[in-house]
Amino acid sequence: MKHIVKIITLLVAITAFWIGLLETALVPRSYTWLLPVYFIVSLGCYGLLMVGVGLMRFPTCPQEAGLLQQDIAEAKKFLKQSGIDVGSE
Amino acid sequence: MELADRAVGFLLSVISLSIFTYYTFWVIILPFVDGDHFIHKYFLPREYAILIPVVAGVALLCFLCAFIGLVMLKSKKKA
Repeated sequence: MKHIVKIITLLVAITAFWIGLLETALVPRSYTWLLPVYFIVSLGCYGLLMVGVGLMRFPTCPQEAGLLQQDIAEAKKFLKQSGIDVGSE
Repeated sequence: MELADRAVGFLLSVISLSIFTYYTFWVIILPFVDGDHFIHKYFLPREYAILIPVVAGVALLCFLCAFIGLVMLKSKKKA
Protein backbone atom coordinates (compact mmCIF):
# COMPACT_ATOMS: atom_id res chain seq x y z
CA MET A 1 0.00 0.00 0.00
CA LYS A 2 2.79 2.43 0.90
CA HIS A 3 4.48 1.96 -2.46
CA ILE A 4 1.50 3.03 -4.50
CA VAL A 5 0.97 6.05 -2.23
CA LYS A 6 4.54 7.12 -3.03
CA ILE A 7 3.99 6.70 -6.77
CA ILE A 8 0.72 8.63 -6.71
CA THR A 9 2.33 11.44 -4.70
CA LEU A 10 5.10 11.66 -7.27
CA LEU A 11 2.58 11.84 -10.13
CA VAL A 12 0.54 14.53 -8.37
CA ALA A 13 3.71 16.56 -7.73
CA ILE A 14 4.76 16.33 -11.38
CA THR A 15 1.25 17.34 -12.55
CA ALA A 16 1.21 20.31 -10.17
CA PHE A 17 4.64 21.38 -11.43
CA TRP A 18 3.44 21.11 -15.02
CA ILE A 19 0.26 23.13 -14.35
CA GLY A 20 2.35 25.75 -12.53
CA LEU A 21 4.64 25.98 -15.52
CA LEU A 22 1.61 26.47 -17.77
CA GLU A 23 0.21 29.25 -15.64
CA THR A 24 3.34 31.32 -14.99
CA ALA A 25 4.71 30.89 -18.54
CA LEU A 26 8.41 30.73 -17.56
CA VAL A 27 9.05 28.78 -20.75
CA PRO A 28 7.11 29.37 -24.00
CA ARG A 29 3.61 27.86 -23.95
CA SER A 30 4.19 25.47 -26.86
CA TYR A 31 7.07 23.82 -24.95
CA THR A 32 4.95 23.26 -21.86
CA TRP A 33 2.27 21.50 -23.88
CA LEU A 34 4.80 19.13 -25.39
CA LEU A 35 6.59 18.37 -22.11
CA PRO A 36 4.55 15.30 -20.94
CA VAL A 37 4.86 13.53 -24.30
CA TYR A 38 8.58 14.30 -24.31
CA PHE A 39 9.01 12.80 -20.85
CA ILE A 40 7.14 9.63 -21.78
CA VAL A 41 9.21 9.16 -24.92
CA SER A 42 12.45 9.79 -23.04
CA LEU A 43 11.39 7.32 -20.32
CA GLY A 44 10.80 4.66 -22.98
CA CYS A 45 14.19 5.43 -24.51
CA TYR A 46 15.85 5.18 -21.10
CA GLY A 47 14.27 1.77 -20.49
CA LEU A 48 15.47 0.53 -23.87
CA LEU A 49 18.96 1.85 -23.15
CA MET A 50 19.08 0.03 -19.79
CA VAL A 51 18.00 -3.22 -21.45
CA GLY A 52 20.67 -2.81 -24.13
CA VAL A 53 23.42 -2.01 -21.62
CA GLY A 54 22.38 -4.92 -19.41
CA LEU A 55 22.51 -7.26 -22.41
CA MET A 56 25.98 -6.03 -23.30
CA ARG A 57 27.35 -6.51 -19.78
CA PHE A 58 25.75 -9.86 -19.02
CA PRO A 59 28.39 -12.19 -17.48
CA THR A 60 28.56 -15.77 -18.76
CA CYS A 61 30.67 -17.38 -15.94
CA PRO A 62 32.50 -20.04 -17.99
CA GLN A 63 34.02 -21.66 -14.86
CA GLU A 64 30.59 -22.16 -13.30
CA ALA A 65 29.38 -23.68 -16.58
CA GLY A 66 32.27 -26.18 -16.50
CA LEU A 67 31.60 -27.09 -12.86
CA LEU A 68 27.93 -27.54 -13.66
CA GLN A 69 28.73 -29.94 -16.49
CA GLN A 70 30.94 -31.93 -14.12
CA ASP A 71 28.12 -32.11 -11.59
CA ILE A 72 25.72 -33.33 -14.29
CA ALA A 73 28.13 -36.06 -15.42
CA GLU A 74 28.65 -37.25 -11.84
CA ALA A 75 24.93 -37.35 -11.16
CA LYS A 76 24.26 -39.26 -14.39
CA LYS A 77 26.93 -41.84 -13.54
CA PHE A 78 25.61 -42.34 -10.03
CA LEU A 79 22.00 -42.71 -11.13
CA LYS A 80 22.96 -45.14 -13.90
CA GLN A 81 24.69 -47.32 -11.31
CA SER A 82 21.51 -47.34 -9.25
CA GLY A 83 19.65 -48.50 -12.33
CA ILE A 84 17.56 -45.37 -13.05
CA ASP A 85 17.02 -44.41 -16.68
CA VAL A 86 18.79 -41.06 -17.25
CA GLY A 87 17.17 -40.26 -20.59
CA SER A 88 19.13 -38.27 -23.20
CA GLU A 89 22.66 -39.56 -23.61
CA MET B 1 26.78 -16.86 -28.14
CA GLU B 2 27.75 -13.94 -25.97
CA LEU B 3 28.85 -12.08 -29.10
CA ALA B 4 25.32 -12.24 -30.50
CA ASP B 5 23.98 -11.00 -27.15
CA ARG B 6 26.47 -8.15 -27.10
CA ALA B 7 25.60 -7.22 -30.70
CA VAL B 8 21.86 -7.13 -29.93
CA GLY B 9 22.48 -5.08 -26.81
CA PHE B 10 24.66 -2.64 -28.69
CA LEU B 11 22.05 -2.30 -31.45
CA LEU B 12 19.32 -1.61 -28.89
CA SER B 13 21.42 1.07 -27.17
CA VAL B 14 22.24 2.75 -30.49
CA ILE B 15 18.58 2.76 -31.54
CA SER B 16 17.42 4.20 -28.22
CA LEU B 17 20.11 6.92 -28.19
CA SER B 18 19.38 7.95 -31.78
CA ILE B 19 15.62 8.11 -31.11
CA PHE B 20 16.30 10.22 -28.01
CA THR B 21 18.60 12.70 -29.75
CA TYR B 22 16.31 12.98 -32.80
CA TYR B 23 13.27 13.62 -30.61
CA THR B 24 15.12 16.13 -28.39
CA PHE B 25 16.33 17.99 -31.46
CA TRP B 26 12.83 17.95 -32.94
CA VAL B 27 10.95 19.21 -29.90
CA ILE B 28 13.43 21.48 -28.14
CA ILE B 29 16.10 22.80 -30.50
CA LEU B 30 14.29 23.17 -33.83
CA PRO B 31 11.88 25.97 -32.79
CA PHE B 32 14.90 28.18 -32.08
CA VAL B 33 16.37 27.64 -35.53
CA ASP B 34 15.50 30.07 -38.37
CA GLY B 35 12.73 29.02 -40.72
CA ASP B 36 14.92 28.78 -43.80
CA HIS B 37 17.81 26.77 -42.35
CA PHE B 38 18.59 23.61 -44.32
CA ILE B 39 18.18 21.37 -41.25
CA HIS B 40 14.39 21.72 -41.39
CA LYS B 41 14.43 19.45 -44.43
CA TYR B 42 15.37 16.45 -42.28
CA PHE B 43 12.57 16.85 -39.76
CA LEU B 44 8.85 16.35 -40.31
CA PRO B 45 6.36 19.10 -39.37
CA ARG B 46 6.00 19.51 -35.64
CA GLU B 47 2.48 18.07 -35.37
CA TYR B 48 4.00 14.66 -36.12
CA ALA B 49 6.15 14.99 -32.97
CA ILE B 50 2.98 14.36 -30.95
CA LEU B 51 1.14 12.15 -33.44
CA ILE B 52 3.80 9.48 -33.83
CA PRO B 53 4.37 8.72 -30.10
CA VAL B 54 0.61 8.78 -29.40
CA VAL B 55 -0.12 6.43 -32.31
CA ALA B 56 2.70 4.14 -31.21
CA GLY B 57 1.43 4.15 -27.63
CA VAL B 58 -2.15 3.37 -28.68
CA ALA B 59 -0.91 0.59 -30.98
CA LEU B 60 1.14 -0.89 -28.13
CA LEU B 61 -1.87 -0.77 -25.79
CA CYS B 62 -4.10 -2.46 -28.40
CA PHE B 63 -1.50 -5.15 -28.98
CA LEU B 64 -1.16 -5.83 -25.25
CA CYS B 65 -4.94 -6.06 -24.75
CA ALA B 66 -5.32 -8.35 -27.77
CA PHE B 67 -2.50 -10.59 -26.55
CA ILE B 68 -3.95 -10.86 -23.04
CA GLY B 69 -7.40 -11.58 -24.49
CA LEU B 70 -6.02 -14.31 -26.75
CA VAL B 71 -4.16 -15.97 -23.89
CA MET B 72 -7.27 -15.87 -21.69
CA LEU B 73 -9.39 -17.40 -24.46
CA LYS B 74 -6.87 -20.17 -25.04
CA SER B 75 -6.67 -21.06 -21.37
CA LYS B 76 -10.46 -21.10 -21.06
CA LYS B 77 -10.83 -23.42 -24.04
CA LYS B 78 -8.45 -25.97 -22.54
CA ALA B 79 -10.09 -26.04 -19.10
